[in-house]
Amino acid sequence: MSEVVLRMEHITREFPGVRALDNVNFEARSGEVLALVGENGAGKSTLMKVLSGISPFPTYQGDIFIREESKRFYNTRDAEAAGVAIISQEFNLIGELTVAENIFLDRQPTNRLGAIDWRRLNSDTRCLLDELGIPDLEPTDHVRSLTVGKQQMVEIAKALSKRASILVLDEPTSALTDREVADLFRIIRKLKRDGVCMCYISHKMEEIKQIADRVVVLRDGRTIGEVTAIGDIALEQIIARMVGRDIRDMFPGTARRRGEMILQVRNLEVDHPDLPGEKRIKTTSFAAYRGEILGISGLMGSGRTELVSAIFGAWPNATRGDVLVEGARIEIRSPRDAIDHGIALLTEDRKAFGLFLDKSVAFNTTIAALQNISAPWMGVIDAGLERAVTERFVRELGVKTPGIDTAVATLSGGNQQKIILGRWLNTNPKIFILDEPTRGIDIGAKVEIYKLLDRLAADGVAIIIISSELPEILGMSDRILVMNEGAIVSEFTRDNATRETIMEFATGTRRMGE
Amino acid sequence: MHQNQVLEFVKTNATLIALVLLTVALAIADPTFHTARNLSNVARQVTVVGIIGVGMTMVILIAGIDLSVGSVVGVAAVVVTLLMQYGLPAWIAVPAALFSVGGLIGLWNGFWIAHYNIPPFIITLGMLTIGRGIALTLSGGSSIPVADPSFATLGGGYISPSPTMVLLAIAVAIYLITLLRFLGDRKKSAGGVKTKRLSAGFVIAPAGFALAVYVFGGGDGLPVPVAIFVVIAAAGIFVLGYTRFGRRLYAIGGNEEAARLSGIPIYQTKLIVYVIVSLLAALSGILLASRLNGASPNLGTMFELDAIAAVVIGGTSLAGGSGTIGGTIIGALIIGVLNNGMSLLGVSSFYQLIIKGLIISLAVWFDVLQKKR
Repeated sequence: MSEVVLRMEHITREFPGVRALDNVNFEARSGEVLALVGENGAGKSTLMKVLSGISPFPTYQGDIFIREESKRFYNTRDAEAAGVAIISQEFNLIGELTVAENIFLDRQPTNRLGAIDWRRLNSDTRCLLDELGIPDLEPTDHVRSLTVGKQQMVEIAKALSKRASILVLDEPTSALTDREVADLFRIIRKLKRDGVCMCYISHKMEEIKQIADRVVVLRDGRTIGEVTAIGDIALEQIIARMVGRDIRDMFPGTARRRGEMILQVRNLEVDHPDLPGEKRIKTTSFAAYRGEILGISGLMGSGRTELVSAIFGAWPNATRGDVLVEGARIEIRSPRDAIDHGIALLTEDRKAFGLFLDKSVAFNTTIAALQNISAPWMGVIDAGLERAVTERFVRELGVKTPGIDTAVATLSGGNQQKIILGRWLNTNPKIFILDEPTRGIDIGAKVEIYKLLDRLAADGVAIIIISSELPEILGMSDRILVMNEGAIVSEFTRDNATRETIMEFATGTRRMGE
Repeated sequence: MHQNQVLEFVKTNATLIALVLLTVALAIADPTFHTARNLSNVARQVTVVGIIGVGMTMVILIAGIDLSVGSVVGVAAVVVTLLMQYGLPAWIAVPAALFSVGGLIGLWNGFWIAHYNIPPFIITLGMLTIGRGIALTLSGGSSIPVADPSFATLGGGYISPSPTMVLLAIAVAIYLITLLRFLGDRKKSAGGVKTKRLSAGFVIAPAGFALAVYVFGGGDGLPVPVAIFVVIAAAGIFVLGYTRFGRRLYAIGGNEEAARLSGIPIYQTKLIVYVIVSLLAALSGILLASRLNGASPNLGTMFELDAIAAVVIGGTSLAGGSGTIGGTIIGALIIGVLNNGMSLLGVSSFYQLIIKGLIISLAVWFDVLQKKR
């Protein structure tokens, strides 16, 4: 058995209100691919950030040993010096520069005058690429003109040019075609023979079966079970380790009565923003009903957010297909149109797409339905009405704030989320879409939001919830759609859905009809 | 009052305090400064930058910029005088120049910025050059005299003292009504949720009214451009503070993506804002031509910088989303009072430039400092 080159012991990392990593222990050996799996938010990326110095030393507790030597990384350079390199989901390449310039960025060979020695730069790059077996990539190609798969190769070459002996690959195949995946695996196998230790983060069970030697599961910031050789564990067992969490008594269990169909989406397609000819959402149809909570499950990047954003009019020029509200086909060219037809969308990233951070509670609550608080003539705002509307939502939703003139930036995540909920309730939605409504908020606020959604459904609103948290989807939804790679791949009712089956469809392990 | 509260008060009202201190200091340093005639002059000089500043505040609020306003001043002045040269009476020439020059240039800027998302800095920089070129072309490079004598009242006329007093009385009445309503609102919601405190502007307003009576209540009365400026500023304050349109500007500047997803019509709003600023710049140009009794094609050169300076000194963030027209007026007054005072004290105009620049830098530094805490 090969040597243990990496050991992480008792790693704990805390964010305000959340323990993202909770006493994690694991080890990896040279010449192996160790798969790190887990649900979204289980702590995989956080752990790898600790390992690679992106989250520097004092931000976590615990010990890192590289070849049995204790290490503390204060930045990524320290980690690189110890032979650890990470290839993130987002590439750190500069599109305007060539392959060679990117690989040797800031380390270019120079001549005696200090000018860059282009001949050597390109020949060194050529050697490196040949060594890796990437022949159809020229050192002088501009990175911008390369496919995502080729860019990935450049990232790997760059990492290895720094003599990395421990390589972290964070979901490396999420944007690759099948051929590119095959190329990548060929390189990974070669690196394995060369004795490189690779930590491979992925959601895709098929890939893990193909490429990994051992697997370790993370859940809620903890390692579940031991590091296990891939031959000794069934995929179902891995999934069980990933999702095996108690559904606490958080969800309102009232039986809901489904009303008539209110939203129908027919043959919706969304073009991929970066890859011409590719589809971000492949021909998709579904319906939502009054009084029903519809859950949409799927892994990050499966197209959940894109699907609902397209319905909400975010990309009118890239979207095709029909949206029917109450049986009538409607034209949605902008979010305004969607709101006017009774659709509301609570976005996933509330700081970037939801909040006006330095504006008041009142401003944030009323902004989507200013017509409710202003005279039709010239749109003069009635300050008294504005205060009354805001105070009503603050009361009803239990927002804890010093006042309605307080800037929302100073409030907690849960209270901020309640304010955005109030904003959308103020538009009187018939169809309320919520994208990750409880991300990053505490349990108490979560339960309150669940109760509120249940009440809204009882009042006849059609609720659509997107969530990465399986217990939330299972606990709240009457019906569940599962998405994978831009398409709805299966549908469950509350009764026949289990975490395992949803996970199998979401990871692409199982397809319709299997 | 607590020490903290005093500090907070100074911080939030720094520019207003600076203006008051500056005025008092100049009044002590130079006896001619606080004569009604001189102050009336200051007021009239401030109007040009002030009127543009109202529009510039809106543009900067939506995280934009308009560098072309100075050129618009020049084009509007040339066009209005030319139209009168062609025999049109002033009452037709003025609205024709206003809407053709201000409206068209505003639409041009707004269209490129809203439709193609081109950085406003670039588009309006282009317009700065284009506008100046148009002004020079139309005028043939030389000054144009005013043909219609009635045109002069617009920029040079006065509203005589007695009607001025009536107007001031109306203004005081509006102020009192707003104050009472504010206090009433505060009492109503005194229970659970805390509301806004009285702003310093409210407190200092009576002093402003007294000053206005002193300056405009005697002598020639209220200069017409000052009256126009007051109306525009009041309209601007009203639009930003009390209307849907105003809310949209703060929302777009605060978080454009969130604003779009909240159903705010970004395109339309941006277009309107750029038209407003151009219209106001054109108006400034027309008023200036009237006061100078003629138009030079170089009129308004560098005005964009004075307007931006007034907005920035007034506390509006160049990143967009926060700022007020009240602040901009204070900023314009600081620049105006400073110019006037330094001239009275015989400071060389070369030094004046240096001092003005330092004050702008200081204001931005202060703004950054406040954001940090």
